[in-house]
Amino acid sequence: MKKDLLAYALAAVPLVGIIELVLHVKETTSDVVPGSDWDAARDAVKAELKPDDLVLFAPFWADPVGREHFGEPLAGLKREARPDETRFARTFEVSIRGAHRPELAGWRKASERSVGKVTIGVYENPAPVKLHQDLVDLVTPERMTVWKTDGASESPCPFQRTTGQAGGLGVPQGPAIPGDRFVCSGGAYVGVGVLHALDHQPHLCVFVSPQGAGSMKVRFGNVAFGSSLHGHSGVQWVNERTPSQERISLAFSAFDRPLGTNVHRVGAGWTGFELPTPDLVGRTGDLVAEITGAAPREYCFEADTRDVP
Amino acid sequence: MSGDETDKPKEPTFVERLKDAVRTDPDPLIGGGIAAAYVAWLLATARSLGFSRDEGFYFTAAADYKRWFQMLLATPGRALERSAIDPIWANNHEHPSLMKSLFAISHLIFKERLGIFADDSTAYRFPGMLMMGLALWVTYMFGARAYSRRAGVVAAVTLGLMPRVFYHAHLACFDVPIMAMWTTCIYVYWRAEKEGGLSWAIACGLVYGLTLETKHNAWMLPAVFLPHALVVHGRAMSRYASRGSRIPVPSSLVAMATIGPAIFLLLWPWLWNDTLPRIQEYVNFHVHHDYYNIEFLGRTYFGPPSPRSYMPVMIVATVPTISLVLFLIGAVDRLRVLLARFVVWSSARLGRSFAWPRVAPARDRAQTDLLVFLAIGVALGPFVLTKTPIFGGTKHWITAYPFIALLAGRGFDLVWGRIAGLLAARTSLDGSKRAIAQAAVGVACFGGAFATTVHSHPFGLSSYVPFVGGTAGGADLGLNRQFWGFTTESLAPWLEANTKPGETLYFMDTAWSSWVRLIDEKRIPPGLRGVGSPSEAELSIVHHEQHMNEVDYNIWTEYRTPTPAYVLTHDGVPIISVYRRPHVTRGR
Repeated sequence: MKKDLLAYALAAVPLVGIIELVLHVKETTSDVVPGSDWDAARDAVKAELKPDDLVLFAPFWADPVGREHFGEPLAGLKREARPDETRFARTFEVSIRGAHRPELAGWRKASERSVGKVTIGVYENPAPVKLHQDLVDLVTPERMTVWKTDGASESPCPFQRTTGQAGGLGVPQGPAIPGDRFVCSGGAYVGVGVLHALDHQPHLCVFVSPQGAGSMKVRFGNVAFGSSLHGHSGVQWVNERTPSQERISLAFSAFDRPLGTNVHRVGAGWTGFELPTPDLVGRTGDLVAEITGAAPREYCFEADTRDVP
Repeated sequence: MSGDETDKPKEPTFVERLKDAVRTDPDPLIGGGIAAAYVAWLLATARSLGFSRDEGFYFTAAADYKRWFQMLLATPGRALERSAIDPIWANNHEHPSLMKSLFAISHLIFKERLGIFADDSTAYRFPGMLMMGLALWVTYMFGARAYSRRAGVVAAVTLGLMPRVFYHAHLACFDVPIMAMWTTCIYVYWRAEKEGGLSWAIACGLVYGLTLETKHNAWMLPAVFLPHALVVHGRAMSRYASRGSRIPVPSSLVAMATIGPAIFLLLWPWLWNDTLPRIQEYVNFHVHHDYYNIEFLGRTYFGPPSPRSYMPVMIVATVPTISLVLFLIGAVDRLRVLLARFVVWSSARLGRSFAWPRVAPARDRAQTDLLVFLAIGVALGPFVLTKTPIFGGTKHWITAYPFIALLAGRGFDLVWGRIAGLLAARTSLDGSKRAIAQAAVGVACFGGAFATTVHSHPFGLSSYVPFVGGTAGGADLGLNRQFWGFTTESLAPWLEANTKPGETLYFMDTAWSSWVRLIDEKRIPPGLRGVGSPSEAELSIVHHEQHMNEVDYNIWTEYRTPTPAYVLTHDGVPIISVYRRPHVTRGR
């Protein structure tokens, strides 16, 4: 009996090859999502998308295809390189292969529909916030000033509109130095770029690259405050991936008093902070950020003012 | 014509002797046929496969070495001077010379002299392709000699229908060549063990020398031969040792230990001067090799500890499943035989009998199965160590594949045996119908592997087997999608349609020398100008690997948009994104 079973099992082995062929045909034909389905999904999302909605592609590896078909502004820089999802009221998850993004855990699914081989799920933020100001938007010569401090001396860092410096052949190459940037003595700069975070996600943020000792101060003008200062900090992946004892501090102050300090530990990845500012609700004024200990790391931060529930 | 001459038996002509040899032993011809067909397939598909980073470096080295060979022909005295050797052979001296020399000689003969190949790259690549032919031929011969002709054919088919092997077999690199030489060396050693005699022993020394000269994996071969020789000759050795007389070391091992290193030195001009320091440098380079980035299960590894599961998971994910199933069947069968032999041997040594095996297995003086398992174990063994770099993907243990294929061949023998038995119990098949049935079973087994291999081109490193979901399944699992930037050529149709002469393109992970060759051979629009940074480029590309997201995001910073103009995909999975610098007024 046992021998018979073995004989039949061995005789059935060619079935493995046949199944392999069938699977191959399926995976290379009917499973592949055609461009027309992506385009149809884009049109469907576009019809309903509001400015404070997010578009997410699932799985993450499909993101380039999603960006290609959805384009700006649906899949623009602010959505793609967001600091996190909390600022968005709803998310349109554009999914293939039954994938679901882990960032949406805890969000309520409001609807779901299929467009060809693409599934569009609409998810609602369980704790929506009201955003007042995104500091990244203020990185302009009109709204921001930068200076470098070294002991008692302070030197201003003028804004320059120049060519960027984006890597070379091969990796790692460090973050691109943006063309529009505040340039300080010794090669330090402050400017907006996209951070490659430890988890390989993109984050639009303010790079602060102080060269040598001292600290950098950034003043954002006419900031509309809410009940909280919500932000993140991180270091470019190639540095962050090797944990160290280094600490980079980001101290915020406004109206001549400190609001709080975020300390970034190299190796922690893109990490968030929340500084409560209930007494500043409705006020407008300058916000100063002082960054210490970033040299020679490729440090980046972002923050917004918001009302939290 | 005198009567004496007519009475003399006629000497057989060369053709007649060849026919006679084929009649007596058709295996070399069958193996040669398989090899020739495969090399023809490689040649037919070479033009559509772009150039990897390493190929670019080897093209350059081969072009340099070619100058030396030309000098050697024209002014041998001058070529042998240190001032002629060192500047040329310093190029890419971290790898031995054999393959790069063959690339150079192939270019001299097949491109410059005979003009057979239109592309310089095909002339450089041709020796690598021939090495794949050699690997198939030896695998067939080994299978046919060790198990059966059917097992030999299936072993060669199994090896040829591995998408990763098919990819690497196109390249002017060393991975397939070392696979071929590793297998040849073991085969020749095995024949030396079976046949005995000085000529096989000398052949061992010669082939081992060439293997050393191919790639550093060869230094691991003693770990195959020494334990095997100990098992085969241990008894005789201990007998001689106990008598205090000279220990009879197999002549094949002696030849490998003497002729092998001599050939290694002789064929590598770089080692002709400052020999010891340069050997030290060569060893140090490989012992302290950099760790490069490689994604595995969603995480990029860039140094030790390497995950122990990398090698087994990648084998399961990239070697066609039918091949692995047949290998397992064959491996279990041969392990069972090995174990039975061991039990019989133990029984004799201990003077007691065991219940199993009831019938002693046939003796195999050459311990073929042990040799096959050692060949697999030594090739795979380093990859269970956490210090072993894993950046090369499957190519670093490619030397195991011919032996996995051999056992798959044996597995097919068993499967066909069962099917034939079942058929015989139900119907009577004549010889030709039996052959057709056998072929049908072969097609059923390998149809999927064949389709997968054909479809994988020219994205061999993106390809994963259907049972893990194909290319998309590999992406779902977070497995590496490519390395070496060879996929750039696959953008050609889009670049033809969407770029203008004179436009600049940042070509990212493609080596500069590879890019130059792509342009020279008009594989991409020759009017494009390659640049080394997105900041200088109208168009920028990113080869999708997890750690290269950095480049992707740098392009976003530079171009201020995350929207690619085009995404090259394979089965819907992004391989390369192309960005075009937006022509908008600068300023936020």
